[in-house]
Amino acid sequence: MSAALLSLLIPLISALVLLLLRVRVGGLVILANATSLGCAALALYQVVINGTQQLNLGGWETPLGIRFELGPLTALLLVFTALIHLLVAIYAQRSRHSQTRDTDFWPLSCLLHASLGALWLSRDLFNWYVTLELLGLVAVAMVILSGPRSHVPALRYLLLSLAASLCYLLGVALLYGQYGVLDIRALAGVTSNDQVTRLALLLLTLGLMVKAALWPLHQWLPAAHAAAPTAVSALLSALVVKGPLFILWMLWDNVAPAELARQAGIFFAVAGIAALVSGGLAALRTPWIKVLVAYSTVAQLGYALLALGLLLYWQDANMSIALWLFVIAHGLAKVSMFLAAGEMQATLGSRHVSALKGASQTMPVAMFAFAVAGGSLIGLPPSGGFVAKWVLLQPLFLEPARWPWALGVLLGTLASAGYVFRVVTIAFDRADPNPPDYDSDVSAQWLAMLPALIVWAMALMSEPLIEWFREVGL
Amino acid sequence: MTSTLIYLCGGVTLWVVGLHALLVQRHALRRIMAVNVMGSGVFMVMVALASRDAAVDPVLQALVVTGLVVAASATAFALRLATADPLDKNEPERK
Repeated sequence: MSAALLSLLIPLISALVLLLLRVRVGGLVILANATSLGCAALALYQVVINGTQQLNLGGWETPLGIRFELGPLTALLLVFTALIHLLVAIYAQRSRHSQTRDTDFWPLSCLLHASLGALWLSRDLFNWYVTLELLGLVAVAMVILSGPRSHVPALRYLLLSLAASLCYLLGVALLYGQYGVLDIRALAGVTSNDQVTRLALLLLTLGLMVKAALWPLHQWLPAAHAAAPTAVSALLSALVVKGPLFILWMLWDNVAPAELARQAGIFFAVAGIAALVSGGLAALRTPWIKVLVAYSTVAQLGYALLALGLLLYWQDANMSIALWLFVIAHGLAKVSMFLAAGEMQATLGSRHVSALKGASQTMPVAMFAFAVAGGSLIGLPPSGGFVAKWVLLQPLFLEPARWPWALGVLLGTLASAGYVFRVVTIAFDRADPNPPDYDSDVSAQWLAMLPALIVWAMALMSEPLIEWFREVGL
Repeated sequence: MTSTLIYLCGGVTLWVVGLHALLVQRHALRRIMAVNVMGSGVFMVMVALASRDAAVDPVLQALVVTGLVVAASATAFALRLATADPLDKNEPERK
């Protein structure tokens, strides 16, 4: 447990040091992220050896105190968060185009890291409210790093995020008024399927769906994620939207009454397929590179939502594993995609998708990174995306009654193949390549490639991981 | 019990009015105020729930205090963001 706490405290302390000393040293943040990654890996190792661990902060027992729980999934997510932060920080420090050198990006990314760590560890509705607010405020502050032009989407994002938090908070107040507890484990035993609980769960779900940009409440995401500097877009898409998703999953999997969960499951699963299709179509149509990648996030979140819905509908624990494999595979692939897209956009001097003409010749490494990450989003074997999809599809093939859901997955796959190949086709149009404004920065392009390589390597590591999850549960 | 009910209904009404204003209004300042009205509504519900029994529930009151801190800082941030002129090229780069 102390290793997990260190993995949360190291970024928090480095953020405070950077803010108090008024320095913006990227190297320090990279060092902090690497140490935090080491601590998170140690925490994961401890969970593998000793199983789930609990901590009551300050020695206060629930219901007054705050309980932290370090389970298999939390440990894995701590490693994932630290890894993504490390990869993005190295890119942000190294690339000429990252727009984030010597800016507030460094303390803010550390604060984001710490808020996410606290969110993964918390098991208490109100503590989650606080971490959600922290996450939202830090995310908006990071979006405006790209200058005054981003203020309008940032304000829109902030207000929606605040309203969603208040929706969530009203739900928390209703649940507390009904049952008198906030701890998720205490709530799990007492909830009944009455009107107040249903209303509370509806409010909590709406708030969380806005924050996680789940269809149909995703409209704010493309503008906000595309307006941010490249390194920030990568963090927002890979990590920030996954926090509320974690709470949503915890809530429905543990707290919701079984009958209600089954009904909601259908809704989630249908919304997931709608997200896959509508996000994919929007990504096929948009003229802007980064908006395309942002819409792909909306679409990919559809897989997670579909897995959540089917988990609730069938009460099949394999779906939880599929959900979190999707989240991790998408996070890594999306970092790669955003960094490659940002690097190409800056070097080729245009935000337009058509500017990528001939990019396979002018910026081969970045284009290759985009395609490799895209391969995982489509689910080509042997990538992380393929493994997640395989775990999702296996239970679907068991009974003929479940086959229509596989059709939804197929539609989503077609849509993602569509927008990835849209970019790749333009990039291979070498007849009249768009000349770059600058010499392309090859090492920054390789840094964009790194997460994509890790997501393909994930396929090799995921078998013991899936076995372990099946054995001990999440 | 009835006074608790009045406060509960009042809180929920405030929350709904705030949400409506947020969705309908276009001016940034009005939308920020709308979010604040929503927040006040939630806090009113929480305070009403806290004092429904003779012994006041300290947990809910502590939550309201925490929520107020979050709301105040978020409002300050939103106001700064709304008043920054997007066309002002001389806006100093925040360091």
